[in-house]
Formats: sequence, C-alpha cells, structure tokens
Amino acid sequence: MTAAFELTAFATCAFVAVAGALGMTTTMSMFRSGIFLMASFIGVAGLFILLSADLIGLLQVMMYIGGFLVMILFMVLVMHDPGGAMMAGMDLAPLERWSSLGLVPRRPAEAGPDGHRQGEAGDRTAATGHGEGHSGTHPPRPGGEARGDHAEAHDGAAKAMPHEAQGGHGERAAHPHGQAAHGHDHAPGGGHGGMDMGGMDMSMVTPVRPVAAWLALGVGAVLVGMLVLRPAWPVMPDAVPDADSARRVGHLLMEKYMVAFEGAGFLILIGIFGALLLARPSTYPDDASRAAKVAVDAEPEPIRNDRLAPRATLNGVAEPAPDHGAHRRHGGHIG
Amino acid sequence: MTVPLTAYLVVGALLFAIGLYTVVAQRSAVMILMGVEVLLNAIGLNVVAFWRFTAPGDYSAQILAILVVTVGAVEMAIGLALVLLLYRQRRTAEVDAYADLKR
Amino acid sequence: MIASAAAVLAALLGGAALTLAVERLVARRGLEAGPARAVGLGRGLDLPNADRWLLPAGPAVALGGVALAVVVIPFGPGLIGRDLGVGLFYVIVVVDFVVLGLALAGWGANTPEAVEACYRIVAQLVAYVVPLGLAYVGVVMMAGSLSTVAVVAAQRDLWFVVLQPMGFLLYLVTGLMQSYRAPFLEPFADSIGGGVLGAAGGWSALLWRVALAGVLFVVAAVGAVLYLGGPSGPWLPGWAWMLAKTYALMALMLGLGRCVRPFSTAGMLALSWKALIPAGLVNVLLVGGLILLGVGPRA
Repeated sequence: MTAAFELTAFATCAFVAVAGALGMTTTMSMFRSGIFLMASFIGVAGLFILLSADLIGLLQVMMYIGGFLVMILFMVLVMHDPGGAMMAGMDLAPLERWSSLGLVPRRPAEAGPDGHRQGEAGDRTAATGHGEGHSGTHPPRPGGEARGDHAEAHDGAAKAMPHEAQGGHGERAAHPHGQAAHGHDHAPGGGHGGMDMGGMDMSMVTPVRPVAAWLALGVGAVLVGMLVLRPAWPVMPDAVPDADSARRVGHLLMEKYMVAFEGAGFLILIGIFGALLLARPSTYPDDASRAAKVAVDAEPEPIRNDRLAPRATLNGVAEPAPDHGAHRRHGGHIG
Repeated sequence: MTVPLTAYLVVGALLFAIGLYTVVAQRSAVMILMGVEVLLNAIGLNVVAFWRFTAPGDYSAQILAILVVTVGAVEMAIGLALVLLLYRQRRTAEVDAYADLKR
Repeated sequence: MIASAAAVLAALLGGAALTLAVERLVARRGLEAGPARAVGLGRGLDLPNADRWLLPAGPAVALGGVALAVVVIPFGPGLIGRDLGVGLFYVIVVVDFVVLGLALAGWGANTPEAVEACYRIVAQLVAYVVPLGLAYVGVVMMAGSLSTVAVVAAQRDLWFVVLQPMGFLLYLVTGLMQSYRAPFLEPFADSIGGGVLGAAGGWSALLWRVALAGVLFVVAAVGAVLYLGGPSGPWLPGWAWMLAKTYALMALMLGLGRCVRPFSTAGMLALSWKALIPAGLVNVLLVGGLILLGVGPRA
C-alpha cells in the first residue's frame, strides 16, 4: 500500500463518514436519513479496513446493510415517512437544502397513504404546483437546476401559505451561509424550527436546534483541539498486525473472551424476545393507512405459460391460466 | 502508516459531535436512535484506531469493537420496538409527546 | 491495479452475458420472468415523483456490489483478483449491496409497484440471509479458512458436495433466493409490473440487466467454489473447469427452480424459518461430527 493510496483512501472514507452523518441529521426524508447513515457506516468500515481490522469493517457493513435497512424500512412503513413530501413548504438551512436536494413532493393523487397530509389545503396546493412544474422532466438532473426548482417550490409554498413570514425567506436567501453554522442561522427565527402548518407540526427538529448546534460545535471543537494540542500517544506504527486477523479474533472470542461472547449472544436472544414482545399486535387500533398494498399475495401468480398443473382453487375447480398481459403496463420490451 | 493516529481520532470526534447534535436536535425518536448509532460508531472508530497504533499485537480491542456493534444492533431493535409501541399508543413518534413518561 | 480491475470487470461482463444465454436456454424463448424479464432498453422514464438521487443510485450500487464480489472468485491458479483472508465473508457482505441497490431504486422510483417491490426485497433478504450463512459455515468449518483459494485447495481430493449434500441443497435454495430466480421471484412478479424493473428504462435498465445476471453468476460461481472444487480438475485448464462447473450449477439451479411453484414473500419467510434454518443447523452439526470422526481434508 503506497502512501498516496493510503492518503487518498483515508480522505475518501473520512469524507464519506462525516458527510454521511451530516446528511443523516439534516435531510428532511427519513428514508434518506437511513441511507445517509448507511453511507456513514460504510465510510467508517472503510476506515476500519484501512486500519487493517478488515473483519470488523465487513461485519459493520453486513450488520448495517442487512439489519439497518430492514429496521429503517419497517419503521418508515409504520410511521408514514413523509418521504420528502413535506419539503414543499419548509424553509431549510443551506446544508439541509443540499442534503435534501432533489426530493420531490408527491402529487396529491399519490399522497393518499400519507395520512399526515390529508387536511392541509395549503400544502397540497404547493405540492400540486410543484408537481406540475416537474411533469415531463426526468429524474437525473444537474444540481444547479434542481436547486433552482427548490427556490421555485419555496415561492409556491410561500404563496400558498400566507401565514408564512415572507420576509424570512428573502433574508434567509440573502445570507451567506457557512456550512457548520447552519444551526446558528436559525437562531433569530427559533419558531421556524417548529414551523406550524395548519396545526400539524411538520418539522423534524426541535426548537432547541441552535443550542444543539452550538453544543455540538463546542464539543467537536474542544475534542479536536485537545487532539491536535496533545498528539503524543505512544504509537508503534511499524508493528504490522497479523494479516489473517479473522483467525486471531476467532480464537480470542472462543477462548479468552468466551463469556463476553456468550453474554452478547444471550443479549441478542433477550433482545429478540423483548422486541417481539413489545411490537406484537396489541389492543391499540392500527391506523387505516397502514393497510396499504403491503399484504403479500396469498397465492402468487405462476410464471407465464409454465407447464405446471394449474392450481386447484377452493372449489376444486382448476382455475384457467391468468392472462398476464393485462399486468404488463410498461410494455415495450426488447428480446 | 502515513496517516497519523490523530487524523483518525479527529474523524471520530467529528462523528461524535454530529451524533450529539442529532440526539439533542432531532424530534423523531427514530432519528434520535440513528444519532445514538453514530455515537457508538465514533467510539468504535476510536477503539480500533488506538488498537492499531498502540497495541497491534493484542486483538482484544477488536473484540470490544465487535461487542459495541452487537450491542448497538440490539439497542436499535429494542429502541425501535419501544417506539413502535409508543407510536401505536400516542399516534406520534416525536419524543416531546412522550414527556409524561418521566412521571 | 487498473489492469486487474479491468480484468475483473471483463470477467463480470462475460459471466453476465453467458448467464443471460443460460437463462434463455433454460427458460425457453419468450418466457422469461422475474429478473430475466424483458425490460425496455430503449424506453424513456416517466417518473415525475421519483427521487432524483436514489433512483439512479440503485443500479450503480447493485452493479458495484456484484463487481466487488467477482474480485475474490478464483478462476484458476493465479487467476484471482485478490485472495482475501476473509474472502467468503466478504462475498456475503458485498452481495448484500444488490439488495441495497434494489431497495434504493424501489423507494426512489416512488411508484406503488416499486415501493412494494422494495419491501418485498428486504423481506426476502431476511428470509435468505441466515440459511445462506449456515450453508457457508459448513464449508468453512471443513476447510478451516475463509479464503476462497484455501477452500478450493481443501477439495483437492474430494468435493464437499459429497461430504455435505445437505449443505449443497441448502445452498441451491438460498442461492435461488439470493438471485431472485424462479420460485423466489416475488419482488419482480408480474403482478407488480416487474417491481423495480418496471421503473427502469434506458441505461438503468441495462445496468439492472447486467447486475441481476451478474448476481446469478456470482452465486453459481461461489457455489462451484464452495461445493464443486472450483477450478480444480484434470486435463483441462482451470478456467475451463471453473466456467463449466459454474454454468452447470446455474443450469441445475434454474432447472430445479422451474419445477416448483412460485413462493409468496410470506411463504419464503415460512420456508426459511421452518425448513432452511433447521436444516442449516443440522448440517453444521453433521459437519462437526464428520470433522470429529476425522473425515475431510484434514484427515
């Protein structure tokens, strides 16, 4: 591993890790937050591999792709993630605008399962305007153009919602924003963090966001300052770890740290039971909007024209092979 | 190793700060759990960096990192199950609505 | 470095092209379903509500995962991108990126069919990932290493398919699940318009085609390495043996899959928890017993 390669790899992984975490906390779509967080984890996994702890790096990727995707998806399913739909009328800090770039509000017709948004006439108007402005355009678009579209969405939203302070927009747009200080920009208009839209609070952040940003900036600055000012660790960088670290870790897990390993396994078992116990179907009425199209097909349709015998239905009558041509709405296939 | 230990630790510190911000500033319980995951990740990065630079012959640090990842996953599962339960009861995932649980 | 990357990419493209040919052969003309369904390469997209980042990112992520997986597959003595010490674990991890890509594109397309496909794909991941790991574990126990080259070397005398027939069957089923082929093609079913593929067109459809053919290729190649001795064999050169075994295994998987009714996602989960995971645990126990009895490469 040459020095230049190592530097490049470190810079890339560190950037992905930090930018992913920043994007996670600033984007307005919960699904995107999960994806950004996953990018951050993959960046950290790259750093692990650079530190020649490849087993832990791979373990991290597997844990978080496999487990995390499932959890995020199902939480989003349960809680009606706005999926960017609520972006229509929000004022965003620059970093948020950047990480939420390209989110398109859903059209009202498709906003059906989104229980949050049913009643908000103003928001729906904004969504309509934005949606129509986009019909006919195609997803991949240059960043600058998309940014312009966002400004457009802001205007539309501001018109649709007269109770939104118009002056705030102009002033905000005129501000030269530093990336790190985005929380501070919100300080004068603390109410914006919890913008009220027809009684429904659409924001994802609490009103104490400026405080949190300053706190995080302070903690980060103190930590980095301490690290930079006291760099004298007893390092031994020339000692090269065993290339087959998986074997060493396995032996340690099975011998020296056996109890800890089994304890972690027991913890996982208890965790599974606990999670199942907590999340089992309960007496609380479920939301009607959860009854979306998620039910799996009871009897999946067979492959077209396969030669398996037709399945007997409940009446004992063989059903005719269904015509699948009707389902293939997106025709136009090549061979 | 051209990249010094301090560089890795700085990345860990930045991740820690971002995670702290997320935990304090976010409103949704799911986002707060994500912030906790970032905090755990920063810790894991620090542990592995110190292992590589100060004691590369002793693999115990990797065991600690593995346990941190495992416990993080369990914490996420339990936390999400709790949030799911509370969501069913309160119809919201925002932690401000759960303030009466303190009593 | 660039040369080896190009070689890996060429191997992937060649493998994917041959995979398509095998699929056509097994599936009979015009009857492709699931991931092999015909997609409109010349069709433009009309998805005004799509997420402009996630939708294009999907096929790129999936193809990247497949290409990374090809790196550790040995095509002969010396014909390997990189012999990693944790090779098999690396394969499991990296192929997961296909699921991530499919989920990204499914969510990003923002059509009801594609989002539905996104959920089905993640549920299918839950169904196959544990039994797949158990199918690997038997081989890893016997070979005593996670490296693909070491696994091939351990099968010098006897293929693992003879010693672990149960693990081989388990790998066939979970491999079909992992590559979304015949009985497990619910995420790409016709009833949801092909799922993610229904929202693909143009270059993204092309990338999906390569990625989904590539994942079947990778699954079959890893199966050949795990259970059929990889590139080892008499008379012919290593790469010829490897390709022959890979495509024979692929044809076997596709042909067997055609004989079974399609499973629903719930059916897959039930199959996984009620049949595959117990079978995998029994397989691990049997392999442990065999090792204790002194059978296997170490004996």
